[in-house]
Amino acid sequence: MPPKPLSEELIHREHMARFPQRWSTGPVMGKFLKALRDEKRIMANVCPRCGRSQVPPREVCAVCRVAATQFEEVGPAGTLRNFDVVYYASPDPVTGQSREVPYATAYVELDGAKGGATFWHELHETDMTKLRRGLRVRAVFEEDGKRTGAITDIKYFEIIEGEA
Amino acid sequence: MQGMCWEVVQHVVRATGVDLAGEDVGAVVSNSDDFFDCRTISDSAITDVVGAHFKCEEKVAQDGAQAVYYGYANVASGSSDVVLVAGHSKESQVGDRNLITHAAFDPFYTRPVGLDYLAAAALQADAFLRRFGITDADLARLVCQQRAKAARNPLANERTPLSPADVAASPMLADPLREAYVYPPSDGAVAMILASEDRARHLTDKPVWITGLGSSIDSFFLGDRDLSESASLRQAAGRAYRMANIGQPRTAFDVCELSDPYAHQLPLWAWQLGLTEDPRQWLSGDLARFNPSGGSLAGTPQVVSGLARTAEAVLQLRNEAGERQIPGAKRALAHGTTGPAGQQHCVVVLET
Amino acid sequence: MPRKTRPVAIVGVGQTRHSSHREDVNQPELIHEAVRRAIDDAGVSLDDIDAVVTGNMEMFEGTHQPDMWQVLGNGAWGKPCLRVSTGGTTGATVFGAADNLVASGLHDVVLAIGFEKQQEGHTTGGITAMADPLWARHLQTGALTGMAALEVIDEFGHERARRAAMRYRVIMDQHAAKNPNAHRRFNLSFDMIDDLMQKSPPLVGELRLIHMCSQSDGAGAMIFASAERAAAINRRPPVWVQDHVTVHREETLSLSGVPTYDAHGKLETTTQRRAAEILFARNGIARPSEEIDVFEMYDPSAWWGLSWIRDFLLLEGDEHLQMVERGDIAIEGRFPINPSGGVTATNPIGATALLRPLEAALQIRGDAGAHQVPRTVRKALASGFGGTLWTVLMLLSKEKPDA
Repeated sequence: MPPKPLSEELIHREHMARFPQRWSTGPVMGKFLKALRDEKRIMANVCPRCGRSQVPPREVCAVCRVAATQFEEVGPAGTLRNFDVVYYASPDPVTGQSREVPYATAYVELDGAKGGATFWHELHETDMTKLRRGLRVRAVFEEDGKRTGAITDIKYFEIIEGEA
Repeated sequence: MQGMCWEVVQHVVRATGVDLAGEDVGAVVSNSDDFFDCRTISDSAITDVVGAHFKCEEKVAQDGAQAVYYGYANVASGSSDVVLVAGHSKESQVGDRNLITHAAFDPFYTRPVGLDYLAAAALQADAFLRRFGITDADLARLVCQQRAKAARNPLANERTPLSPADVAASPMLADPLREAYVYPPSDGAVAMILASEDRARHLTDKPVWITGLGSSIDSFFLGDRDLSESASLRQAAGRAYRMANIGQPRTAFDVCELSDPYAHQLPLWAWQLGLTEDPRQWLSGDLARFNPSGGSLAGTPQVVSGLARTAEAVLQLRNEAGERQIPGAKRALAHGTTGPAGQQHCVVVLET
Repeated sequence: MPRKTRPVAIVGVGQTRHSSHREDVNQPELIHEAVRRAIDDAGVSLDDIDAVVTGNMEMFEGTHQPDMWQVLGNGAWGKPCLRVSTGGTTGATVFGAADNLVASGLHDVVLAIGFEKQQEGHTTGGITAMADPLWARHLQTGALTGMAALEVIDEFGHERARRAAMRYRVIMDQHAAKNPNAHRRFNLSFDMIDDLMQKSPPLVGELRLIHMCSQSDGAGAMIFASAERAAAINRRPPVWVQDHVTVHREETLSLSGVPTYDAHGKLETTTQRRAAEILFARNGIARPSEEIDVFEMYDPSAWWGLSWIRDFLLLEGDEHLQMVERGDIAIEGRFPINPSGGVTATNPIGATALLRPLEAALQIRGDAGAHQVPRTVRKALASGFGGTLWTVLMLLSKEKPDA
């Protein structure tokens, strides 16, 4: 390897790349998002072969490799199957802002969902010692007029007090 | 994205009778681009639709003809007898595809001057057209011919025929490339099933054989290349022709489906592939067998272009190309390209 | 049942010094360093290379179709050059692709390259961008999750689980201390375990900073050859690619750890376990923990590393914890894991999964220097991890496999 000069000024170039994006939701995801916005309902789709629910719905059942075309409402309450308590929130690379920590994310098995599928969302709780698997939780929706057809139309899930 | 990919996967699954849930398909080779999808590891979005849940899937992150090449290697290596190749891309999702291809340029020399693939293609067009005295009118005529072909292709994106007046009125995007000379932003997906000889005959009564493959990559800096030709295309072609035992390419192919996102690239690639000696003269000849589909110019997302051109060639050889069928086609050439002004090329020879 | 068309050998390897900031080189130069070392190791020249396979996670460096620019440093000019990209498993997919290309007969000598220059982008941002933009991107925080820890703790108890995970981490660091190419070396020792368990800042749940893999700049290169070319090249003993298996999974299913079932009613397992089942069955390996001599595992965190020992070696109960508690996994132990220090020490993502078989190859050759395991290595296992819990499992062998 050639010897390096003892002091060498290394030039760096900084650049912020931005790519405006516009995603099509498609008929399957679109149906889910519309139901959130217009009806405050959480829709799962069901595999005609194995009966498994998927929420959010996906075009096909990954296990059976067939299109999952039937929709069923699930939730808004469910059981906490797993969760994360996040102490380190990665700053947004563009804005530099971070979520307030600690915050919790949850995998919720929504009532009515079959086959063990869980739904991933934020869990709103300030006392993290309360969290354990098996807790009953429910979705809290954004107010009328503020829902836009995005996953954040569900603001978060909260623990249902008194239901152990 | 998932829906689009599922549609084409379902089509080949139905046509061959393979069971994605079983052991029929040994591996999936996907073809997509994280930048165009605006998503890291974008193949994780389609694992389920390609049937790769708990199976093998490998993503080729270049033009789709490279996915054909790698799919072939998968089968020929003995690791899978049957491989599903699935390519997908939605250019409509990016705000501006020039911003995406701009990011392909190195951050130090070429990105700061504002290059993107359109500008690179324009530099190439200028060099090539000038070298052979090909005029704007010549190119306009070619575009009208190709658009007329696309009008007969139900799978083409842009099917409205164009007149020379339409083309002349088409705004200049990057001299000498008018809007009409550049492919429209496109969404699309392509799937195909590759199989070993043993398995092929069980899956279809019209197998199309891959008899030649060749790929090569040129220098990165545009100034290091003679843009009026393409050394890497000549190399790729040479490799494919050697493998397929083709001595005289000019008369070897009944159909040629070349990736031409920019109109001037059709005569340029045809020449460098050895399909013609004089690109200017070629333009006034019988071009029926060149991109009978309308080509990539009619609107194929650049990431899957080579896969789409290969699929078109296969349809031709199976006599399933409908109105655009070249009668009696037995041997076809398909081609794909990646990178600025065709830095990399992949050539596929197909025969019945 | 797949049957490899012809045997494939590894005839040369090279890697860069991995670090948090390789600011002295740009991307093509970084790659070139690894390529140069592999070429020199094999004693060949670029003219001997028929084709190149490369991979990285381009969202990290923010360069679209980076293989175009990389031609300046990767030796692919004028050659076929394939780029594959599968997230964290990329390096292993590169390995598998090179293996397939040579086995297929299309090429006789293939150069495989994996690299990443993490510091040139925003790693967590890049990983967060992998989440589906419609329903997951607002929540994902890079690759961090505490659920792996939660599962081990639930199964084995708070104290024992955390102690075992930390012990695993210390062993990995002690291995890294012996590897001059490793990125991070903290000089950890067992008497620090209690302190680390208390004081290392928690990231998510019980996943603490010390458990987590690094973000590194680095590159690795390996040269694959047909048996005939390997015999002619022969500068270092060839290492044979016996087999490799790839198991992906759909992005949402069972991420929560809740068991689900496949179309045949069979309990779905981890991709790690499924890959191991397939690989060992088709290679006649009944007791992997006895028949494999060394394992370079892609361990993105100490918790996963600990947990996957059981999956990869097809063990049951608490055997894997016992292996760690007894020190079996140390370099001089009964079943050494990650003599290189593994991924918690060094993680240039596009290269990491290639570095695992690269290090495994060094072990078979007896060339790993200070971190060489003190035994004859006949069979080495290497794994890649990435995407939505995907696995690539690779088996390397000192002896040429029967045709």
